[in-house]
Amino acid sequence: MKKKSAYILTCLALVFFIMLTYGCNEKSGHHSVAETIKAASTAHVPSQKLEASIATPEDIVLAKMEYQGGYFWVNKRKSKISRFQCSNCHKDKKVQIRDANQVAHGEISLNHGEGNRQLSCDTCHKMDERDYLVSEEGKKIDFDHSYQLCGICHFRQKKDWIGGAHGKRVTYWAGKRVIKSCTECHSPHSPRFSKRWPKTYSRPLE
Amino acid sequence: MDQNPKKNFFTFIKDATAWNLSGSIGYQIYLSVLFAIILLGIYCYTLQARQGLGVTGMQDIVSWGLYISNFTFLVGVAAAAVMLILPAYIFRDPDFHKVVIIGEGVAVGALVMCLSFIVVDLGGPLQAWHLIPGIGLFNWPSSILAWDVLVLNGYLLLNLFVPAYILYSRYMNRKPDERKYRPFVFLSIFWAFGIHLVTAFLYEGLPARPFWNNPLLGPRFLASAFAAGPALITLVLAIIHTRTKFKLDTSLFNKLRLIIVVSAIINLIMLFSEIFKEFYTPTHHSVSAVYLFFGLEGHNSLVPWIWTAIAMNITATLVLAFNVGKNNPTILLPAAVLLFFGIWIEKGVGLIVPGFIPSPLGEIVDYAPTMTEIGVTVGVLALGMLVVTFLIKPALIIEGQFD
Amino acid sequence: MSKQENGHKEIDQFVERILSKKSNRRKFLKNTVQAAAVGGAITMPGSAEAGLMGENSLLKWKEFFKKNYRLMSQEEKDSTVSRLEQIAKERYGVDVQMSNKGPEEHVLYGYAFNISRCEGFMDCVSACVKENNLDRKSHTQYIRIFELEHGQMSVESGNGKFFHEVPEEGHFYMGVQCFHCENAPCIKACPTKATWIEKDGIVVVDYDWCIGCRYCLAACPYWGRRFNWEDPYIPKDEITTKQHYLGNRIRPKGKMEKCTFCIQRSREGKLTACADACPTGSRVFGNLLDPESEIRFVLKNKKVFRMKEELHTDPKYWYFID
Repeated sequence: MKKKSAYILTCLALVFFIMLTYGCNEKSGHHSVAETIKAASTAHVPSQKLEASIATPEDIVLAKMEYQGGYFWVNKRKSKISRFQCSNCHKDKKVQIRDANQVAHGEISLNHGEGNRQLSCDTCHKMDERDYLVSEEGKKIDFDHSYQLCGICHFRQKKDWIGGAHGKRVTYWAGKRVIKSCTECHSPHSPRFSKRWPKTYSRPLE
Repeated sequence: MDQNPKKNFFTFIKDATAWNLSGSIGYQIYLSVLFAIILLGIYCYTLQARQGLGVTGMQDIVSWGLYISNFTFLVGVAAAAVMLILPAYIFRDPDFHKVVIIGEGVAVGALVMCLSFIVVDLGGPLQAWHLIPGIGLFNWPSSILAWDVLVLNGYLLLNLFVPAYILYSRYMNRKPDERKYRPFVFLSIFWAFGIHLVTAFLYEGLPARPFWNNPLLGPRFLASAFAAGPALITLVLAIIHTRTKFKLDTSLFNKLRLIIVVSAIINLIMLFSEIFKEFYTPTHHSVSAVYLFFGLEGHNSLVPWIWTAIAMNITATLVLAFNVGKNNPTILLPAAVLLFFGIWIEKGVGLIVPGFIPSPLGEIVDYAPTMTEIGVTVGVLALGMLVVTFLIKPALIIEGQFD
Repeated sequence: MSKQENGHKEIDQFVERILSKKSNRRKFLKNTVQAAAVGGAITMPGSAEAGLMGENSLLKWKEFFKKNYRLMSQEEKDSTVSRLEQIAKERYGVDVQMSNKGPEEHVLYGYAFNISRCEGFMDCVSACVKENNLDRKSHTQYIRIFELEHGQMSVESGNGKFFHEVPEEGHFYMGVQCFHCENAPCIKACPTKATWIEKDGIVVVDYDWCIGCRYCLAACPYWGRRFNWEDPYIPKDEITTKQHYLGNRIRPKGKMEKCTFCIQRSREGKLTACADACPTGSRVFGNLLDPESEIRFVLKNKKVFRMKEELHTDPKYWYFID
């Protein structure tokens, strides 16, 4: 009698510990993220339903370069420059209106580049080609594609921006790849973000 | 066997209730006080139920407090009944056999408190039915908390039904059939170790909390439980010995003292081993221990508590080990009290709260229970005492009448 | 305790003052919206209060006995969502559109955080609070931004409570939120299977199935989970009404909640609120299964790391440096 119950109890205890170890090791069918990603690298099917539900944003322009997935779009710039075209004022003659520079461009303070590499207006703008940006080599660049100009110096950032490690997409992670152009976040005349108060704070704050 | 036709299960319940509610003036006062405290606890709990757990001192960083601390400690007390069951049923020690029912009563009371503490700690107590296998959804065997629910309720049933069967048989003037209950006694011995190990695994299994993620936690839980539990049982027995006609042998107290001493010494050795590991090479896993023993960045609400607890532990262990009073109750009993409360602080508040401080992201806050929280806690403790009283009183009367 | 509360109050006032300098316009807008809401309430036809009450308690009764979300059929999901919309209307007086949209095929969400770009502006935190209907009273936030001194790389030694002009000289910033671990300790811990990982990799909570034991909170090594200690309070005009059952619907008290990668947005193809709000482009969100996605570009071309990788939680949230 005594032996039998001891035997049963030993079995019970064994089962208990096996179950507990099983519970601790429960990993049935589990794959690490790295494995999942590797397995999926060739078999991507974009969801038709999801893509269809996303409205194509207005005011975008096809970028003049490609990323790993082909084409992408950027937000237009020209439509947001209030006095575009520039040649409306800057014709072949000098602007004659008094204080026109203050009125039209007074808010601009140039703070781009450090030390003796400070940029000046004519690094990007040329007297004889007001409606376009012009690179040092004399290449005309559309305002909507200003990233081409920025990328001349900031070629590392440009590479990251094209790939997606720098900058950001507009609203959607899915659908057409529309990303913000450089000048949407960085003022081209003073590209560094200025110091400011954070939007909120966290508790515990003691 | 001679069956008494006038006795049945209903008279058993009726008699037990009558015995429980009658007694000397002192007993009546004792009951009234318990009821009053329980009512206070219920009142505090309604406050908490209406407004949410925000009325307690817990917050997102220290998300378990007084309730779970007490739960953890009391699981140990419940498990410690095995220290009476083992010698009584396995080694057939006559002293222990006489009092084993009291140990089981204490265990049931402790379990009732444990389960109540879990319920009052729940944010959604009305959803507790989600835990019932079958109608709920039980994350078993993956969740250690699911295990704990199982083992605690199982242990409660074992400790209710074995003594109930024995007592009921005695009440009916039958000899309890040992073949019927003996397997369950064996099972409850394993189960006692089970409940406390599983409860330890609850904490031990969390790599998020280096203070708990320590293989010594399980053994330490057992050692401290087997010191604190028998210390409490010693006190209960002493009260019974002086207050009732149920008389006990001094040799019993000596045996209990030995159990307590051995466990307390093992507990202290493990405590020192932990302290050595944390402070000889203080890695960033030791921050919680530093907080507990010395405080961090001006936050030191636990420091006086833990040093008091350690002082109480060491004093009591020494007094009990060298048997200073030669089993004189005026020394033995205060030492047991000291040890009981020392372990309560060390294992309750001193284990649970610092596990949360600093948070996994390194933030340090202090935790202090609110009055509402303390009210609920005291209420649950009173409920436990009431349960123990209501179980032990009829048991002793039956044992005394029919033995 | 009360001293601490007072401290909080003072800080709140201070913050209010600083933030209100530029928000006069916003206040005006707020008032207009409130006025409009009141006007709307007056013009609403007087509804039979008593009848509604009875109906409401029946709704609550049905809600109480519903199943775990994962076991529901689509019809059951639809009916619980419409019940919850009615309850929300009753309780908060707003028209909520609650979705129960499931995961898309071939999508696994991933997130990357650029620690060399973040400047600690906390626009993400504020957008998250707004989008996810987080409790304003207890100041609940899913995202924490830590300010770290150069020469360190652990949030434990950073400062999560900074409030001064940023970026601070000699410091960098690191954001922490739920990492949506593939091998999540919180899921393993939950005794009632009230939290799980969806097919698209989002770790979600069924708020109505959660019993509020907070074991998952103890199990999370990143402090990614929050608890509703009391009923959440959100000013009526700030409630985000486009909600998801598993996402930003207003939680009951006593339940766990957490970042859901803005499930109500991401399943519609949108960026999470934090990624959308970030002014510095430090937050990259996308589909890990799409080899052409930005997140995959980051993983392939940048040196990335994950927090507490030694715990084998396998987070889907990486940190990278330009």
